[in-house]
Amino acid sequence: MSEPQGAGGLAAGAPSPKPEGSVVLSLRGVSKAFGAVQALRDVGFDCRAGEIHALVGENGSGKSTLLGIASGFVRSDAGTVEIGGRRLRRASPAEARRLGLGMVYQTYSHVQGLSVAQNLFLAVAGAGQPPFRRMESWAAEQLAAFQLDLPPDAPAAALSLAERQLLEVVKALLARPRVLLLDEPTTALGPADVERLHQLVFEQSRTGVGIAYVSHRLPEVLDIADRITVLRDGVGQGTFEASAMSEDSLVTLMIGRPLQLAFPERPGAPSPSDVVLATEGLHGDRFGPIDLSVAAGEIVGIAGAEGNGQLQFLRALAGAEPAAGRATCEGRGLDLGSPLGPLRAGVVLLSGDRAGEALFPVLSVRANATIQILRRFGRLGILRRGRERQAVDELGQRLRIRAASIEQPVQSLSGGNQQKVSLTRPFLRGSVKVILAEEPTQGVDVGSRFEIYEALRQKASEGVAMIIKSSDPLELAGLCDRVVVMSRGRIVQEIAGGELGERRIVEAIVGSGVVNAAKAGP
Amino acid sequence: MRTRSWLPLASMSTLIVALGAYAAIRQDAFLTTYNIGNLLLTTMPLALVAMGQTVALLVRGFDVSVAALMTMCVVAASFTLKPGASTLALVAGALAVVGIGVATGVFNATLIRFFRLPSIIATLGTLSILEGASLWLRSAPAGAISSDVVETLNSSMSFLPFAFVGVAVLAVLGDLWLYRTRPGLALRAVGLDETSSRRLGMRTGLVILLAFVTCSVLASFAGFYLAAEVQIGSPIIGNQALESIAAAVLGGAALSGGRGSFVGSLLAALFLTEIDNVLPLFQQPTEYAEMTIGGLILLALLLYQAPELVGRLRAGRRKVAPLPARTEGAAPA
Repeated sequence: MSEPQGAGGLAAGAPSPKPEGSVVLSLRGVSKAFGAVQALRDVGFDCRAGEIHALVGENGSGKSTLLGIASGFVRSDAGTVEIGGRRLRRASPAEARRLGLGMVYQTYSHVQGLSVAQNLFLAVAGAGQPPFRRMESWAAEQLAAFQLDLPPDAPAAALSLAERQLLEVVKALLARPRVLLLDEPTTALGPADVERLHQLVFEQSRTGVGIAYVSHRLPEVLDIADRITVLRDGVGQGTFEASAMSEDSLVTLMIGRPLQLAFPERPGAPSPSDVVLATEGLHGDRFGPIDLSVAAGEIVGIAGAEGNGQLQFLRALAGAEPAAGRATCEGRGLDLGSPLGPLRAGVVLLSGDRAGEALFPVLSVRANATIQILRRFGRLGILRRGRERQAVDELGQRLRIRAASIEQPVQSLSGGNQQKVSLTRPFLRGSVKVILAEEPTQGVDVGSRFEIYEALRQKASEGVAMIIKSSDPLELAGLCDRVVVMSRGRIVQEIAGGELGERRIVEAIVGSGVVNAAKAGP
Repeated sequence: MRTRSWLPLASMSTLIVALGAYAAIRQDAFLTTYNIGNLLLTTMPLALVAMGQTVALLVRGFDVSVAALMTMCVVAASFTLKPGASTLALVAGALAVVGIGVATGVFNATLIRFFRLPSIIATLGTLSILEGASLWLRSAPAGAISSDVVETLNSSMSFLPFAFVGVAVLAVLGDLWLYRTRPGLALRAVGLDETSSRRLGMRTGLVILLAFVTCSVLASFAGFYLAAEVQIGSPIIGNQALESIAAAVLGGAALSGGRGSFVGSLLAALFLTEIDNVLPLFQQPTEYAEMTIGGLILLALLLYQAPELVGRLRAGRRKVAPLPARTEGAAPA
């Protein structure tokens, strides 16, 4: 087994004064290139038993690739992986699991067509595997042991994102791993579920499991981690004691420059009389009735704990979710029967499901940007590629899309750059009245975030009304003119002006939940 | 979910009995031990190849080379299972024929897994190669097949062929394996979602390799029964590629992978053969049989989709539950 300290590949970070725990995961000199992009360059880190070791870095800095290599899912070009002191000889998730590695994937790893119980059952190999006919009762026991209230026979496809994420953790833990890797496990979770997940992670580390935790949420990382390894552009920036770090110093390491301005300037209060989008008694299966109006140039945020109907409300406005009631755009009624009605009226939805809904992953940046407006670049039905290219090139530079060229398939871009590509569409369309953005910066790095905020604010200043659904209160507080907080499908609070702040939003989310729970009693 | 898995079995059984009853009432020649025994025997090639195809469909693949493989096995049998050969020679000859099946399966799986070709294209290539090889070996039907072998394959207990009993047992065991054991569940998981299955620690490459080898081996078994039927090395006999997919799908297999039933595909094979068996009794030209089969396949598929279709229709009407009586809105704390 290799010694934890002074190992090659680690950049000269602070030496660790806490020598407890043997090394359960060790990566040395790992490099990986995807085509022309060098995702990782000679990176290494150690995770000790009982330690929570965070990996931070901007998106595209190589965190997920590093975890992929550690878990055997991605083949590295160079370098070694040791799990529990034994070398991972080939890139194979089955082999990594056998050596004692549990992986919680950001994009999940359960089979949608199977039930919760079947997924849990398949996650356990070898000893500890129950007889097939006892599968459901066994799964119920396991779920109960982790205090996860899910019916074992429910199809995995029917779970909410938060439930899937927690199931994913339980699934990894069932194999009793020596080291548990978590890749952005809290992206889909509301504050209460984050708390629950962290509790689970703490308990595991106390029993001696080494935890490697990837997240872009620095407050969470500082809250939970013992040590932090920072990556920038695929290069290790060192490993540090978490107690010695602050958000500020981490951001500096991540981006290489102090982050000064996080949000674009607000241009001043929009005129409330100039209403663009309005709803009256709009309701669907998971939300409503909701009365809300948004003025031209105004950015309204929707906050709330996950699963309180925010998403359904937003999607209903785009005709992507069944709804009844009335919605108007510039005074004219919106036909919410299909996405076509809102689209024709100039209501654009930026879906949070980038790979599944917003983008065509195998198509290029250019094709994704112009797919709805090809007519503009044509003459007599023949596309004039030069004009199309010029338009996308210009916009790509303005939004700072980092791609080798605009002909690169979007699936090979980082999350932040993918999001920017989906943002090109409202910019290229002429007649956008309303933008509905769902988690516009989910999985997006700090640097790109600001660029996305700036782009959204700029679009608003052109007179577009905007609704942004986000699970990040800090983002809503910084970006929006007004924030409404939803609970159980209804708007329970509205926060605007000087009141608007992260703390106030979080308080409203937590508080409103309590109010409604009390109301539900009698 | 549950309904969906029983629907194919129930509808196939109903159709078999309904068509059989109709034929029995109208034609004395149908419900005779001779005809039933014959029907069950002629079901054998399609039943076996449909079960093989089900395995390929379960891992979200297609194998269109099965018919050419069956032909190849018939032609090979005309060389290795010659009349008058000793038992030992016959066993060796039979193993050689199965060996062709194994080799074809490995070849297909290599193209699909190692060279990442879509299964339908890869097996299309294999189909051409095997067809050409069969014609090269026998440019015209020639070479009798050992009558000992034919008799063994066709032996029966009164009218019930042992072979059919065997294939029925195999189908039941196959379904029990598929739905009541961990490897069966793993096979379906790989078909439903390969990436997640790999992340779950399954050896997906091996699973898919074994699936295609199983498919080809079952097709080579089907080749034996085809050989027993024609009893001569014919290079143009096997044409069950599309029928095998039709039978597997009628039996409940989904083209999207992860779903299928061996009992279902056996029943569907029996039904399709029954149509072929019944129509000549009524002096109907075979083109009606073809059209009937096509129509029935579409009808059955629509029926299987019914739960999903109803769901989609409901969603399509986009109805929203009526608004509950409006209580006083939640006041801010």
